[in-house]
Amino acid sequence: MRLNVTLYRVMAYVTGVVLIVLCAFAIGQAFTNDAAIVNVIGTVHGLLYIVYLIVSYPLTRRLRLTAGPTVAVLLAGTIPVMTFVVERRISHRYIGPALAGVTAR
Amino acid sequence: MPGTEAPRWRFLITPRWLAWHLVMVGSVYGMLALGDWQLHRAESGNALSWAYTFEWPIFAVFAVVFWAKTIRDEFHPPAAPAPEDVALPAGAAAGASRWGAAEPAGEPAAPEDEAELAAYNAYLARLHREVKGHGKWHGLR
Repeated sequence: MRLNVTLYRVMAYVTGVVLIVLCAFAIGQAFTNDAAIVNVIGTVHGLLYIVYLIVSYPLTRRLRLTAGPTVAVLLAGTIPVMTFVVERRISHRYIGPALAGVTAR
Repeated sequence: MPGTEAPRWRFLITPRWLAWHLVMVGSVYGMLALGDWQLHRAESGNALSWAYTFEWPIFAVFAVVFWAKTIRDEFHPPAAPAPEDVALPAGAAAGASRWGAAEPAGEPAAPEDEAELAAYNAYLARLHREVKGHGKWHGLR
């Protein structure tokens, strides 16, 4: 459980930061027309998002999240800033109480 | 056994689940179509499209795997103990609960274990209420 949560948090932040960087460069690309760096960061984000999915889906099952929060967690990695928002909300509403109940397990 | 099996898959054809099935089929088709589009872009010289050519099918596979696992979990719901279950002897519900099964049967739970179990059951009870009520995030059931 703790490992699940740690992996999820790490990937949420890494994916979120890379996505914001990607957006910054994508906006810059509108002025410079240099697509190379956007493509590279976009590919990196795509790979990170795959890892993010692998890490976060098991956590949603362990927390027994219903469809709404599960979809929110999984899609957060594709929407700028959403990983941070969702991570906070999930931590507050689900991870905290669950960890309080299973510390010894 | 057939008498108990028949109703179990019925949830799959409720309108809500049918809508989810449609969303899943549509999104998987969309992801495969995007992968195909990237393949054509890659073949026409856009080297970086090769990455997306493989990423989109991977996402489609993820969607199918997650979907299958979610349905499988629905068929084998881990018994969610109600708050009242806390009063039961430790071994009583062990067979029914995924977490409870890890506890040695017959041995009384230590006080700290009971406190943790109570906290966890309270958490499960709250999840259950949220699923039944109309909260911010809807559940499937």
